[in-house]
Amino acid sequence: MGAAFYIAAAIAILSTAMVITRYNIMHALLYLIVSLLSVAVIFYIYGAPFMAALEVIIYAGAIMVLMIFFVMMLNLGQQSAGDERHWLTPRVWIGPALLCLFLLAELVYLIMQPPAPPAGEIVMVDPKAVGKSLFGPYILAVELAGMLLMAGIVGAYHLGRQKKKITHRFLERATQ
Amino acid sequence: MSATDLLSILPLLIISGAAVIAMLLVAIKRNHRVMHAFTVLAFILAFLALFLQPGPLPYELRPLFVVDAFAMFNTGLILVAGLSVLFLSYSYFEQREERKEEYYILLLLATVGGIVLVVSQHFISLFLGLETMSISLYGLIAYLRARERSDEAGIKYLLLAALSSAFLLFGMALVYAESGRMDFTGIGLYLAGTATVPVSVVAGFGLMLIGIGFKLGIVPFHMWTPDIYEGSPLPVAAYIATVSKGSMLVLLMRFYRDINGYEYTILWWVIAIIAMASMFTGNWLALLQQNVKRLLAYSSIAHMGYILIAFLAGQEAGQEAVMFYLVAYVITSIGAFGVLALLSDKVRDAEELSDFKGLFWRQPWLAAIFTAMMLSLAGIPLTAGFIGKFYIVAAGVDAGLWLLLILLVVNSVIGLFYYVRVVAVMFQPLEAPQRKPLPFFGVFALSGLMVLLLWLGIYPSSLIAVIRDMMLTMG
Repeated sequence: MGAAFYIAAAIAILSTAMVITRYNIMHALLYLIVSLLSVAVIFYIYGAPFMAALEVIIYAGAIMVLMIFFVMMLNLGQQSAGDERHWLTPRVWIGPALLCLFLLAELVYLIMQPPAPPAGEIVMVDPKAVGKSLFGPYILAVELAGMLLMAGIVGAYHLGRQKKKITHRFLERATQ
Repeated sequence: MSATDLLSILPLLIISGAAVIAMLLVAIKRNHRVMHAFTVLAFILAFLALFLQPGPLPYELRPLFVVDAFAMFNTGLILVAGLSVLFLSYSYFEQREERKEEYYILLLLATVGGIVLVVSQHFISLFLGLETMSISLYGLIAYLRARERSDEAGIKYLLLAALSSAFLLFGMALVYAESGRMDFTGIGLYLAGTATVPVSVVAGFGLMLIGIGFKLGIVPFHMWTPDIYEGSPLPVAAYIATVSKGSMLVLLMRFYRDINGYEYTILWWVIAIIAMASMFTGNWLALLQQNVKRLLAYSSIAHMGYILIAFLAGQEAGQEAVMFYLVAYVITSIGAFGVLALLSDKVRDAEELSDFKGLFWRQPWLAAIFTAMMLSLAGIPLTAGFIGKFYIVAAGVDAGLWLLLILLVVNSVIGLFYYVRVVAVMFQPLEAPQRKPLPFFGVFALSGLMVLLLWLGIYPSSLIAVIRDMMLTMG
C-alpha cells in the first residue's frame, strides 16, 4: 500500500511540475491529464474508487474536451495544421505516455491483489453514500453549486461575446 | 427540508430565484429599465422577507447554515448596500454602449454568495458562497469591456482570487484531515479537546487566513485593491468595497468565535501585525494619490486595519465596535463611490483629482455629500465615521491595546491630510461652471445615505442598541 502511494504521488508531483514548466500548451495539457490520473489512483488506494472514477471522468474528460476545442474550434488555419503534425512526434507524447503506463501497471497490480480488509482507518465510500449525503443534508450545497455555475456561464457569455480589440496598456505604450 | 427551513432562508431563496427569473427576462426581451426595476423589487422583497422569520432564533439548518440575529442583521446590511448600489447603477450603465442586462444577473448572484457567507457555519457553504461571489465578481469587474483597464482588472482579480481560493481550500483540507470536522462548532470542540494543536492544523489556519485576508484586502494581500478599484465600473467598486469585504469579515467573526480564536496568542499577534501594516500601508500610499478611485482603495486598506483593531479587542465591546464601524464604512464607501458614479460621463469616469476642481460651484449638493463622506472616512465628529472610530478606541482601551491605539491615532492624523485635500480641491474657484443634469434615483440614494450618516453620527444609540441586542443573542 505504502509503495503504491509513493509511486502515484511521485508521478503526480513530477507531472504537475512539467505542466507549469512547458512552453507549449498542448504539452502542458497532456501532463495535466497524467497528473489528474495519478491523483485518481491515490483516491483508489485510499478507498474511494467512486471519487477516482469521477476524477477521471470530470477532470481528465474536461481537458480532453478543452483540447478538442482548442484544436478544432479555434481553427487557426494553415499554420496550426503544421503545428498539429509537429505535436504527433514521439518526443511530445513519450513522456506522458510512459508516466501513464506506470500508473496503469500500478492500477493493474492493485486490482490483482487479493481483497484484504482495509488497513487502519481507511473506510470505503461507495457511490450510494455519496449520493445519499449529496441529496440529503447537503442538498442546499448542490443547489448553491448550480448558482455558482450560472454565475460562471453568464459571466463567460458576456465577456466572450464581443470581439473588440483591446490592448493592454503596457503593450500600447510599447507600440507608440 | 421543511417549510420552516425554507422560510428561515427566504431572503436567500428570493435573491436566487430572482437571478433565474432575471435570466429568463433577458431571454424574452432586453430592456434595461424593466431589468433594473425587477432587480430593485427583488432586493426590496428579500429585505422584507427578513421580517418573516418563522421560528425562534438562532435557527439552524444543519449542517450548512445557521440563521441567528447576527446573520439577519448582516443579511439586511448586504441587501441595503446592494440596493444602494443598484440605484447608482442605472444612470451609470445607461450611458454605456455595452449590453446592460447581464450586470443585474451577476449582481444578484454575487449577493447570493454574500448572503451565503453570512449564514454559513460549515466549510462547504463557506467555499461555495465565496466562489459564487468571486465568479460573479470576475464578470462584473471586467464588465465594460471596451474600456482599457477593465480586462486588466478582471484578469488580475481572476488569477489572484483563484490563487487565494486554492490557499483557503488547502487550509480547510489540512484542518479537516486532522480534526475530521468541517462545521465550525465541531472544529471548536476538537480544538478544545486537544492539549497541543498539531502543526498541520496551525498551518491550515494560516493558509485559511491568506484566503480570507485576500478577500478583505489587508496587507500583505492588498496588492489587487487599487488596480481592481480603478479598472472596474464604479458601482462594482462600491459593491466590492462593501458587500464582498463585509460578508467576509462577518464570516471571520463567526469562525473566530466558534473556534475560540481569542485563546491563541500567536493568532492574535499575526492579526495584530496585519492590522498595523494595513493601517500604515494604506494611509501612506494614499497620501499623494491623484486618482480618487485609487485613493479610496488605499483608504479601504487602512480602514480594514482599523476594523481589525476592534476585532482584536475581542469579546463584546470589540465585536460591537466592528459591527458599528462596518455599518458606517458601508454607508460611506457607497456614498463616496456613488458621487464618482454620478459625475462620470459617457467616455470616462470622474476619477482624477482635477475632475473635482470647483465641484462646489458646479454641483453644490453633490459636493456637500462628498464632503460629508470624506469627513466621515477621516473620522470628524458629527459623522458616523467618528462614532465608529470612537467605539474602536473605547473597545481598545477596555482591552488595553495601547500600542495599537497609538498607531490608530497616528494613522488617523495621516488620513486626515488626504481626505481634507480632496475636500479642499472641491472648493477651488472655477471660471465657467457647467451643470450637468443629475439622475433622480442616484441623488435620492446618495441623499438617503448622507442623512443616515449624519443621523448615526448625531444619534448613534439607536443602532448601538440594535447591535448590542444582536450580540447578546449571539452568545
